[in-house]
Order: sequence, then structure tokens, then C-alpha cells
Amino acid sequence: MKKVSLMVLSVMFLGLMITPLAVAEKAEDNYKLYCFQCHGSKGSGGGINAAALSTAPRDHTSATEMKKLTDENIFTAIKEGGAAVSKSTFMPPWKSILTDDEIKDMVKYLHGLCKC
Amino acid sequence: MKSLKLLISLIVFALFLSVGIGNSIADEKKGKALVESKKCGSCHKMQGPPDKTIADVLKRKAPDLFYAGSKFKIEWLEGFLQKPTMIRPAGTVYVNNIKMGEKKDEIGDVKPCTSALSKDEAHEVAEYLMTMKEPTMKTGVIVDDKFSKAKAKVLFGQKEGCSGCHRDKADSGGTSCPTLYNAGERLNPDWVFDFLKNPQKYDPKIWMPRRELSDEDFMLLAKLIASMK
Repeated sequence: MKKVSLMVLSVMFLGLMITPLAVAEKAEDNYKLYCFQCHGSKGSGGGINAAALSTAPRDHTSATEMKKLTDENIFTAIKEGGAAVSKSTFMPPWKSILTDDEIKDMVKYLHGLCKC
Repeated sequence: MKSLKLLISLIVFALFLSVGIGNSIADEKKGKALVESKKCGSCHKMQGPPDKTIADVLKRKAPDLFYAGSKFKIEWLEGFLQKPTMIRPAGTVYVNNIKMGEKKDEIGDVKPCTSALSKDEAHEVAEYLMTMKEPTMKTGVIVDDKFSKAKAKVLFGQKEGCSGCHRDKADSGGTSCPTLYNAGERLNPDWVFDFLKNPQKYDPKIWMPRRELSDEDFMLLAKLIASMK
């Protein structure tokens, strides 16, 4: 009986080892799939959805615009959505897709886009 | 005498039923064979699991079909398979079909599915696709009754900003996601409810994040979408 339990436990452990964990994506790839749709392929706010939004998506390449926001603001806007920082509700909360670490990477990536 | 009549009626009914079920199974088999011979699986994922990485999503050519039987209405499927229309204005994975214009991105050349089945073939394939269910989806949740359309519209357009990514009218709304102005004809409301509650259950990397709403609000949205015809 003990042997069987040990075998079952071993198989379960092996299963856990083999199961791949969720892949942490690069900020560049996350930006491409999730942000291009509104902020555009250049990050300048010219995404294919921009015309449908009552508030223009932020131009991530504008240092003037981006300097108005703290890193904490940006992190919260991405994680909890625009409404959480009194901005547009068209910016949804991305926490069901992006991990905190991925959002932190995204904040750094945005600094690269605005060169600020 | 009365009981004999009842017995005969029951036998006739059972015969009709078994013939109906038999026909349906035969159609499913023909549909499966058609899906294989037409190589639908070369563009569509016909079996789970869904893509788990962005790299895999970017290789996607057409929408996943392994839960088509939960997602679609069979009448719509039959029509679509005969004469496909554009559901996603920017294609299956929008990011693969955009190009930078002068100041903003533009949608490149996007074409609908090439399926052009006959009426009978479309029926058979639809019957087969309807067998592909999401086992965890509850049915009979969204009932066709009165609801506050005004409240649902506020959720859709203002609070959750759905129209930012989805076309809610033929000429307005976003283009990175499926059109919704005709979704009532296309989608099973129970699936819409289930998908809204957790889009990542169906597609972990889909560019629509999960919202934290009450079941009541998700139901309102599902009913509003069901009314879009």
C-alpha cells in the first residue's frame, strides 16, 4: 500500500515538473498584441481602434505627455484600467492577462518609447 | 382500444425520433469527413488546448473551432459556410494585418474564409461543428426576457468601453475584434455570457481582458449582444 502511494506521489510530482508554467512574455510582444490596437504600431496613439474612442489614446512617444505620469500611475492604469486613475474607461484592466512583473517591464518599455 | 391507440402513437413517435437522430448522426459523420477533406484544420484549430503564447497566437490563421458548438447558432453557421462574410474587420489576429499609414495604422488586405459549401454540405458541417462543445459552459443561463437595455447600453458603451474594439453598428466602433452588430444572429447567448466572464478560459492570450462585473451585469451585456440583429 505504501509502495503504491509513493508511486502515485512520484507520478504527481513528475507531472508537476513537466507541466509548463505560464510563459512570461517580453514587453515588446505584449505591447504589440495588446496595445497596438489603440495606441498604434508606433505607439503614437494611431491604432486601428483610435477613431472609435471618445478619448484619444495616449501618445506613448510624446515625452511631454508621458512625463505627466508617474510610474505608479502607469502601472495602475495598465493593471486596473483607465478608470482607476481617473482616465478613459476605454483603457481596460489588463491584470487578467499581464502579471505584475510583465506590467513593470511594460512601464520600462514605455520609457523607451518616449525616450524619457 | 384507447391504450392500443396510445401505444401505436408512441411507437410511431419513437420511430420518427430515431430516424431524426439517425439522420443527424449521419450528417455529423458526413460533416466530419468534409471538414477533413476541405482541410479546415489547416487554418482553424479543431482541437484544444488554445494557444498559450503570443508567438503561437501570431501564427493563427483563423478562429479556433474546437468549441464552435457552444459558441455559434447552427442556423447562422449554415449560412456562413455557404457564403462567408467578414466578422473580424482586421482579420483573425488584427496585429498581423495592419500597416502604418501617414499618421495612423490602417487595415491591410483582409479576406473572409474561403469556404463555399453547398446547402447540404453546410448543414452537414454545421451539424458536426455543433458537436464540439466547451464542457464547462452552462446552458440555459441567458433567457429571452425583458431587460434594461438602457442600463446594458451604458455598460457596453461607457463603463466597459466595448465599442472601442467592437463594431456595434455597421459603420461605427472599433475594428480589432469581432463585429457585434449582428452577433445576435451568430452567437449563442450562453456562450457570450461564459466568454464575457472569462475570455482567457477560451483563449489565454486574447486581446480582451476579463472584467470584474457582477453576474447580473454580465447577463445584461449578454442579453444586449443577443439583441443585436
